[in-house]
Amino acid sequence: MTAAAVVLLYSVVVAWRIPSVLTRLTETGSRPRLGIAVWLTAMASVLFSAAVSLFFLIHAAVDGWTHLALVICRSVSGGVCAPAVYTSALTALGIGFAALAAVLTTTALSWRCARRMRQAHHQTRAHADTARLAGRPLTQPLTNLPNAFVLNVPQLAAYCVPPGIIVVTTGALDLLAPAQLAAVLAHERAHLAGRHHLVTAITAGLAATFPGVPLFAHGKEEIARLAEMAADDVAARRAGRRPLVEALLAFGTGTAVRSPALAVAGYAVAARVDRLLTPARQGSRTRTAIGLGVVLAVLPALSGVVVAFAGAA
Amino acid sequence: MRGFGELESVIMELVWDRSGQVTVREIFEQMQRDRTIAYTTVMSTMDNLHRKGWLDRVKDGKAYRYMATASREEYSARLMREALTGGRNTEAVLAHFVAEMDSGESELLRAIVKRLGNDAERAR
Repeated sequence: MTAAAVVLLYSVVVAWRIPSVLTRLTETGSRPRLGIAVWLTAMASVLFSAAVSLFFLIHAAVDGWTHLALVICRSVSGGVCAPAVYTSALTALGIGFAALAAVLTTTALSWRCARRMRQAHHQTRAHADTARLAGRPLTQPLTNLPNAFVLNVPQLAAYCVPPGIIVVTTGALDLLAPAQLAAVLAHERAHLAGRHHLVTAITAGLAATFPGVPLFAHGKEEIARLAEMAADDVAARRAGRRPLVEALLAFGTGTAVRSPALAVAGYAVAARVDRLLTPARQGSRTRTAIGLGVVLAVLPALSGVVVAFAGAA
Repeated sequence: MRGFGELESVIMELVWDRSGQVTVREIFEQMQRDRTIAYTTVMSTMDNLHRKGWLDRVKDGKAYRYMATASREEYSARLMREALTGGRNTEAVLAHFVAEMDSGESELLRAIVKRLGNDAERAR
């Protein structure tokens, strides 16, 4: 019982306290892929310790019943109903109910999470199918991609749909110069190649299942932001920093952009532009990497130690 | 699987281009002009498209006459609604190049672009 409480307390502390630490490490967006790994590790370690806590609780409940049976047997053979029977019965019942409630809650949450992820998967598949049929293949001299489709609508949009479809609207094609389009496509391909949709599906499922838990709610947003930045890095390498910034500004303002520079801050897209225009210095990149590396190593180890100690106690 | 999907696209394209009712034979004959394909393949693909809700059909003697359930433009508009509502109506996992932004952010970006434009003018 104590073991279950200790491990549960540990996972609650991590779920509520670690987001602010991680946000500080990942807010600049240097080392985005390492940042994503660390956020996911934190989520996994919280889920793991919560599962272990449940296991300890069930274990305690089963132990409680055997203990109770033993006490009853003794009191029957002794012919008296000792106070020990009442105490033991109350404890066993209490822990039993707690274990039952915990098991039911976990089952319901897992079921809800799985159902939501399945639903998202179906809707994504349907969207990809429709895009494939309603769109026309994108044929541009510079960027002939097998799975890119153009939707004939005035709205401004470019996005990718797993398993591997890129959608661009004619509105976007009208706005972008060829090099900028190449940067947009490189960004979307980086999402697909990096399997960011899997990460998004998992974090969205967890955030919906545990609303109000900071690690999942905030982690989902942070991971989405870092995934954009990771894709930006790849696109900047493949298609050039400048056309990528131009494309971001063009999308952000809805007007064609031909020559940007300078710094901006404070908003999501503005932050991405800022980051591309003024890359972090090597020293700060290294510091971020070390900080993230420490968290990445310490969290799983700490979970293991807490579980081992609680189990032994 | 990809080859099959491609066949579906080609058939939908032909159905939309004709913008009326079509028979499997008509589509088959048109497709034969630039590829070798079996009649039964076209038939089963159109049957699939009917099952998936892309094609409607009415019995006409021994055969069916097919028509698109919605125009290409309607499907495109539907996709845009799904893609641009920021995930309120759908849980589809889409990775946008630029996510929806508030007016403050686009105002800021617009100001930057304008300033950059002015700088470029002066440099000229």
